[in-house]
Amino acid sequence: MKPTPAPPAVRMNDISKAFGPIAALAGFELEVRRGRILCLLGPSGCGKTTALRLIAGFEQPDRGVVEINGRRVAAPGSSVPPERRRVGMVFQDFALFPHLTVRQNVGYGIRRDPDRDVRVDELLELVGLTADAGRMPDHLSGGMQQRVAVARALAPRPDVILLDEPFSNLDQALRTQLRADVREILRRTETTAVFVTHDQEEALTIGDEVCVMSRGRVEQCGVPEIIYAEPANPFVAGFVGIANLVHADCRDGEAHTRLGIARLIGPRERQPSGRALAVLRPEHFETSEAPDGPAGGDGWRVIDRRFSGGELLFEVQGSDGLRLWCEAGPQVRRLTSGDIVRLRLRDIETVAFSVGRAAEVPHEQQSPAVTESESSPRR
Amino acid sequence: MPPARLLAPALIISGLSGLPLAYLLLRALGVDLASLELVMRPRTVEIFAASLALGIGVGVGSIGLGLPLAWLTTRTDLPGRRAWTVLTVIPLAIPSYVIAFAFIAALGPRGALSEVLRGFGLGGLPSIYGFGGAVVVLTLATYPYVLLSTRAALLRFDPSIEEAGRALGDSPLVAFRRVTLPLITPAIAGGALLAVLYALADFGAVAILQFDSFARAIYIQYRASFDRSLAALLALMLVAVTFALAWLEWRVRRRHPHVNHAPRRPAQPVRLGAWRWPALGLCASVTTLALIVPFGTIVFWLARGLAQGEPLRIVASTTANSLMAGSLAALVAAVLALPICFLVVRHPGRISALIEGVIYSAYAVPAIVVALATVLFVINVAPFVYQSMLVLVLAYAVRFLPQAIGPARSSLLQVGPRIVEAARTLGDRPSAAFRSITLPLLRPGLVAGMALVFLTTVKELPLTLLLGPTGFDTLATAIWGAATEGFYARAAAPAAILMILSGLTVGVLLRAEEPVR
Repeated sequence: MKPTPAPPAVRMNDISKAFGPIAALAGFELEVRRGRILCLLGPSGCGKTTALRLIAGFEQPDRGVVEINGRRVAAPGSSVPPERRRVGMVFQDFALFPHLTVRQNVGYGIRRDPDRDVRVDELLELVGLTADAGRMPDHLSGGMQQRVAVARALAPRPDVILLDEPFSNLDQALRTQLRADVREILRRTETTAVFVTHDQEEALTIGDEVCVMSRGRVEQCGVPEIIYAEPANPFVAGFVGIANLVHADCRDGEAHTRLGIARLIGPRERQPSGRALAVLRPEHFETSEAPDGPAGGDGWRVIDRRFSGGELLFEVQGSDGLRLWCEAGPQVRRLTSGDIVRLRLRDIETVAFSVGRAAEVPHEQQSPAVTESESSPRR
Repeated sequence: MPPARLLAPALIISGLSGLPLAYLLLRALGVDLASLELVMRPRTVEIFAASLALGIGVGVGSIGLGLPLAWLTTRTDLPGRRAWTVLTVIPLAIPSYVIAFAFIAALGPRGALSEVLRGFGLGGLPSIYGFGGAVVVLTLATYPYVLLSTRAALLRFDPSIEEAGRALGDSPLVAFRRVTLPLITPAIAGGALLAVLYALADFGAVAILQFDSFARAIYIQYRASFDRSLAALLALMLVAVTFALAWLEWRVRRRHPHVNHAPRRPAQPVRLGAWRWPALGLCASVTTLALIVPFGTIVFWLARGLAQGEPLRIVASTTANSLMAGSLAALVAAVLALPICFLVVRHPGRISALIEGVIYSAYAVPAIVVALATVLFVINVAPFVYQSMLVLVLAYAVRFLPQAIGPARSSLLQVGPRIVEAARTLGDRPSAAFRSITLPLLRPGLVAGMALVFLTTVKELPLTLLLGPTGFDTLATAIWGAATEGFYARAAAPAAILMILSGLTVGVLLRAEEPVR
């Protein structure tokens, strides 16, 4: 036991876990501070659910140590069973007990608690299901089932609550609402939570902290804004938000690209120099209408539009074939495919990766919106 | 690799169910060349030919009844289609030896109908014994297999396929032959093969009707001689024939993938017009032969028996024996089914498939063969338990295990592993999670399986006859004994009780199928 006054709620140290020949986690590290909501974000198959099941105790690590509130719960050869770990879990399919009522489901984990009825009432009120206490899970909507699952997991006052893609079975409108509700509930009960999702929007809105995972290890951990503004590598840049990776020549804290100059974030010694790929987000561009005529010089042809409520994105292509995603400003919003726009880089700060590192990123792991500027002229 | 706490019991259970057959094979291997000559003896050839004829007769007969009935009740405007559907399927629940008993008690030389006819000075009903009777009785007991599978196939494909044939110039009859028939042929063949399998494996009906197919010959050979080699050889031949047919049935089902155009709308029923009278005649005759004759005969002899003062005390004790044996077998089967279900559902793989395969193929072995093999095994290996309740109940439970596994497995499939994990995170140890989550959710399936095992155990004849303790009479053996000796009045009461029990059990089954609430 460490002498520090408050050990982290969860600590996973150098964890490896393989299923047969497939390595699910390799050298995985994680630390969750008390009272915080941490999101594990990554593509499917990156090992995030395995990490969650290791915390819960449904899987045992091949190597490494899991601690909950400073108590060692798993190490090779020794493991505390799930029922004695004081973790709550909200499953992807909710896993409600179909033969028990809502009230019995919520009260399941506190059968021996003398104040059980009071506690169940309290939780039902918290999730807004007081009127449905006597109903069977089958008769509830997806959103209600979800809230029963949350209340049930919270009832025994666990040290940490684990949520495994809890909104993936719900439709989009409900998802946004429940996301806010669940965050509010976790906040109000000051519960530590580890939340697994492959939806970056979900991760950024619900997490106090986001850990981006790929291929069994953590790529970057941090508050959502930092993850977005200062991705640690091209994978994170592409997975969280839309990133255009554009060739740049880096010197004196600036990245010189064909679209303009961007300032580089962070201390000079950590910045790349020479050839690199700069991360340019769609909102980094200013768009204006181009005079009629063929796409020449700095004209960009609109090849696709993506409208999502408030913002409009254009995919544009330069004369050399380079494709970019940019936010369409008010002047150009009515343009359609085939029209020509002009792009200008705003006065921004961003990050860049030296070209050698960028090459490590395999194509299939990138979000479709990532643009690699490999097609730009090199010869 | 599944955990040992599941694998060990599962291996023992599958071992138990494969043991009789393995033992039979082992003994047959020990038979010297001189005995192999037995196979070629005229008597053996005769039995083989008789069984073959019985199989063909029942196959043709079951199609002859099942196919028209299926078509009439699904595709035409036959009056009372619903009622006919139910009435023509019910015979499936009546044991073949009860139908056989009813036929000899009605049409036999001293049967009820013969008596009535004699009263009018008429005589000479055709003999019900032998080949003709066996084919008729077993056809009546098995045509529902063809009816049900054909019906399902007819209900499964969209009528627009038939209509396409009509639009291309076919008359309804021609469209049926060119379009419908080829589509439902696998279902008909599958049902008919099941009927033939049933007929060849059947012991009770052929024994009562004194027809020497394999099943009866095996029994007589076993009872009559001290040398059981011929019985064992005949049993192995029957197993070989059965497995060949079962393999054929599996091929038919596999080769023709289900035609599954979910019907978008019900078929426009074919108007029978004047043809509805012969159609109704067919339905009425089948119902008469398969339902009214058995029920009527039983009621007739029951009334006569009561009038003559048949002792009811014996009926009470045989009923008690049946209830006890059935309940014990159901309970043991449920316990044995649990590890198998968990293994198969939670740890699918080659080992699980193998264990399941052994248990299900043992089920395909005719009961008379299992009974014979078990007797031989017990006498030679563990004579101290010969003719004990322990062996009888265990034999029932192992034999009918697939009936307990089926519904329990379906229930278990609905209890996802996540639900159990949820209980674990809420503080349950594995045993507590099993008790408060898995078991309650499994209960409907277990109950349904137990009801099935109970029903078939109560009806089971050859196992009881060969393995039961001396003097241990159940309803089934009482009916068989009285019927073979011609005491029809004495067989009527147990037969009536058996029918009632079957009805009750079917009720339990339907109740258990309702979803958990």
